Amino acid sequence: MGAAGATRAETDVGDAEMKPPTTSTQSTSKPAADVDGRPAKTIEARGVDLFYGDFHAVEDVTMTVEPNKVTALIGSSGCGKTTFLRSLNRMHELTASARVEGEITLDGQDIYGSKVDPVQVRRLIGMVFQSPNPFPTMSIYDNVAAGLNLNAGRVKKSEKDAIVERSLRGAHLWNEVKDRLDKPGSSLSGGQQQRLCIARAIAVEPEVLLMDEPCSALDPVATLAIEDLIGELKNKFTIAIVTHNMQQASRASDITAFFNLEETGKPGRLVEVGPTEKIFTSPSQQATEDYVSGRFG
Amino acid sequence: MPGGIRVEYQEELERLEASALGGLDLVSSAVSRTLEAIEHQDVELAQIVVADDDRIDGRYLEVHQALITLLATQSPVATDLRLISALLHVLKNVERMGDQCVNICKMIPLTGNEPPADQEMVKLILAMGGQSKTLISQAKRAFEGRDIELAQDLVRQDDVVDNLNRECFRLALEIGDDADKREWAMTMLLGARAIERIADNAVDIGEQVAFVVTGLFREFEDASHPVR
Repeated sequence: MGAAGATRAETDVGDAEMKPPTTSTQSTSKPAADVDGRPAKTIEARGVDLFYGDFHAVEDVTMTVEPNKVTALIGSSGCGKTTFLRSLNRMHELTASARVEGEITLDGQDIYGSKVDPVQVRRLIGMVFQSPNPFPTMSIYDNVAAGLNLNAGRVKKSEKDAIVERSLRGAHLWNEVKDRLDKPGSSLSGGQQQRLCIARAIAVEPEVLLMDEPCSALDPVATLAIEDLIGELKNKFTIAIVTHNMQQASRASDITAFFNLEETGKPGRLVEVGPTEKIFTSPSQQATEDYVSGRFG
Repeated sequence: MPGGIRVEYQEELERLEASALGGLDLVSSAVSRTLEAIEHQDVELAQIVVADDDRIDGRYLEVHQALITLLATQSPVATDLRLISALLHVLKNVERMGDQCVNICKMIPLTGNEPPADQEMVKLILAMGGQSKTLISQAKRAFEGRDIELAQDLVRQDDVVDNLNRECFRLALEIGDDADKREWAMTMLLGARAIERIADNAVDIGEQVAFVVTGLFREFEDASHPVR
């Protein structure tokens, strides 16, 4: 398991193999069923500490990312929200010297378990990044199919066609690109490219979608299109989104988690997590109030 | 960094709060003049109160518009959002209280030039008006100080007004058979009723104080489900 294994406590559930949704049978709690009858999954973080070498980036985060809800992570730069998001699908450990303490589970299964394949974790928990990053020379079609080619081995052409169409429809992009699937991904506008990346992420049917400031490079119209899409995707997926845009958090999320840094050099902490409506009308912590009111950077 | 961000916005919000609450001072002086007009059956003074209500309405429109602009341009949240919502309510209450003074003053010519039919009833109405002014200034202080206890005490102060109002009603019933006297008493009862509503508006402002502080809105008293 990588650098994380040396320091974090192993648990029994951690040794179970991560299973794709089609073969998973050991879900204990009854998860909320989506429109297709497919359950979304819960991510739980318990006492999570994150480090880069000696630097303690995030301290003692315990929170739940609930199924079929959009959870927004907000906080000023350097507060650890992106680091925390990246730890949720083991992206964090791709940075040399990064390590994780504490426990992160997907429907009860430890994603840092010793027998768990991080690649499998990242298939179940997909990520959409800040700036749209389609493979520039690959066609639109191949961009969406890229994850399938990597994950599933050989897939029949007809099956692949169906998945590509379904994913592009799911990302609200199909009508705009159906007649030019062979054109390069880079031929699309910024907003379209980001939707292409979302299509690519959902093509492999993940359980969870993590989004790291998915609209920060987009204009307001493209931003609202993505937010609408997020609102629809939550019917199928568990979604966590990092955003610097307070209005986006208040518009697009159901749950908001506020991270803060007491001072530079100290680790970021989770200050408050609760229903978005409460965080933006009557938060319980003064630090949250100051941040959402824009009194602090 | 604290205090260094959004200074202009914060100052504008403070200015608008002072301006909205200043509307209560305008109402208070309107109530004073209204009482004086009742006491002396001063039709001219009553006309001034009616004309001056434009100032209260102007304050309402001006601050209301500025608050809407803040909502549209500054995306206020949390306490700021609750404050703005509360101020919109306060403005409405201020405007209503001004209108009640106008209602009373428009009736003063109807009470005629004869001496009051019942001096006791006039005294009660003046007492109601004085107590309403106490509520108005207490509501203002409670809002400025975000003082929930002072705000809740408005209910107790309002009970005084309500009791005086009932007393007026009793006197009106006992005024006798004379048609002119009865008409006078009816008119005065409507005035008492208007003052009683002014006091209720002050209690409503107290409820907004509790909302700003706690984020929870509840009526201090629910007329449709009285505790008693």
